[in-house]
Amino acid sequence: MIDLLAYAQTANQINNTYYFIFLIVWLGLSVLLFMPGFQQRMYTYFVARDIEAGLLKLENFTKNAKKKTAELLKKSGATNADELTEKFAEWFVIDPVNVEPTDIINRMKLLMRTSEDKIRQIIMLSLPNLDPVTRSKIEVSAEIVNSLNTIYKVIRHYLILGKKLQSYYILLQLQSIVPILIKMAESYEKAQDVFIKGIPVGDSLGPLVASRFLMNINEKWTPSREMVAGETEFEGRKLIVLKAEGPMATVGTPGEAVENVINKLEGRVNRIITVDAAAKLEGEQTGSIAEGVGVAMGDPGPEKIAIERVAAKYNIPIDAIIVKMSMEEAITEMPKEVYDASDKVVEMVKQLIRERTKPGDTVVLIGVGNTCGVAQ
Amino acid sequence: MSQSTQQQKTVVTVLKCLKCSYTVERPFKEGDFIPKIDGTCPNDGSPLYIWGIYAKSLVEKK
Repeated sequence: MIDLLAYAQTANQINNTYYFIFLIVWLGLSVLLFMPGFQQRMYTYFVARDIEAGLLKLENFTKNAKKKTAELLKKSGATNADELTEKFAEWFVIDPVNVEPTDIINRMKLLMRTSEDKIRQIIMLSLPNLDPVTRSKIEVSAEIVNSLNTIYKVIRHYLILGKKLQSYYILLQLQSIVPILIKMAESYEKAQDVFIKGIPVGDSLGPLVASRFLMNINEKWTPSREMVAGETEFEGRKLIVLKAEGPMATVGTPGEAVENVINKLEGRVNRIITVDAAAKLEGEQTGSIAEGVGVAMGDPGPEKIAIERVAAKYNIPIDAIIVKMSMEEAITEMPKEVYDASDKVVEMVKQLIRERTKPGDTVVLIGVGNTCGVAQ
Repeated sequence: MSQSTQQQKTVVTVLKCLKCSYTVERPFKEGDFIPKIDGTCPNDGSPLYIWGIYAKSLVEKK
């Protein structure tokens, strides 16, 4: 009996010791949590870990894109494939000065064209006998590698900076945009396979519509770099159709082409119709069609403004027909909904010409977008 | 009840005879492009044009 009492007393003492230790730990943690410095370090640690996980994904996308580009170059006969891929990844174009906007469009156009020419020159120097279709695939791959590498490096920069400065707010902002950038990078990586195979993408909608008109025209000409034009008659109207030259993966120079065609006709054009793929808002249906006014074109500036300027010069109304899709759908395989929309757009264009022009008028139709897998 | 869905895509090439509107689909092959002539129509022997290339979505539930 005495033994049992002594055992109970000892057990009670042990329980009390555990309770005391727990109390000390709990008090210690409470004090630490009330200290702002500790809290911030804890939050910073968790946010940084989340960004690091995203950065790892971005690194993998970049590595895969580089690998595919190097493989494409090797397959085409390049002996310096890795060196070329690294050159594409680190390629940059310095933005024109915008505090003095006068003539910014010409400066932007010059820089963009110089960059395109230089990339092409680098490719052709290593592969002088390359066909234009494979060359365009390498050019698109180079652009994808460059974009993915830039996204990866910028995120890594701000992650390291945020950690170095122990700045919770830098990391918090970064954490909020990383999922969007991962989604974008994932789309770019998928797009590379699609372009390499030569499959039309969602953005090929415009060239596909133009191709439906151009395929029956025998006489075609080149109105500007990487563009093709053809003239036909539609119910008594002269219809001039333009698109980028396919089936290469290129968007061509539609602005310059329209400018040249209209200037050559000395402005005797009654209507300009632009057809393009457009980014849908969340909740909108892929393949839904909308009609409006203006130049339907996702261009940084020079091409779009060229059409606006020539239209304003000769007072030519501009119509726009767009087919909606997500950013991923625009740069990956053309979805069935967009393909189905193409024939409806052809009919809409015909109806628009009937309703808004009269026999004897001249209409210019431009199918805007990347013409990968769509010839004429 | 939460069921995750995964989209799988298959790319098809649509061939069309412009004379009789005969249409046939087959899997996409590298080198296909719109409007390449690829074979002849079994009905009237006219050229078959590649009329479209698009992705069909096959939604799989996991």
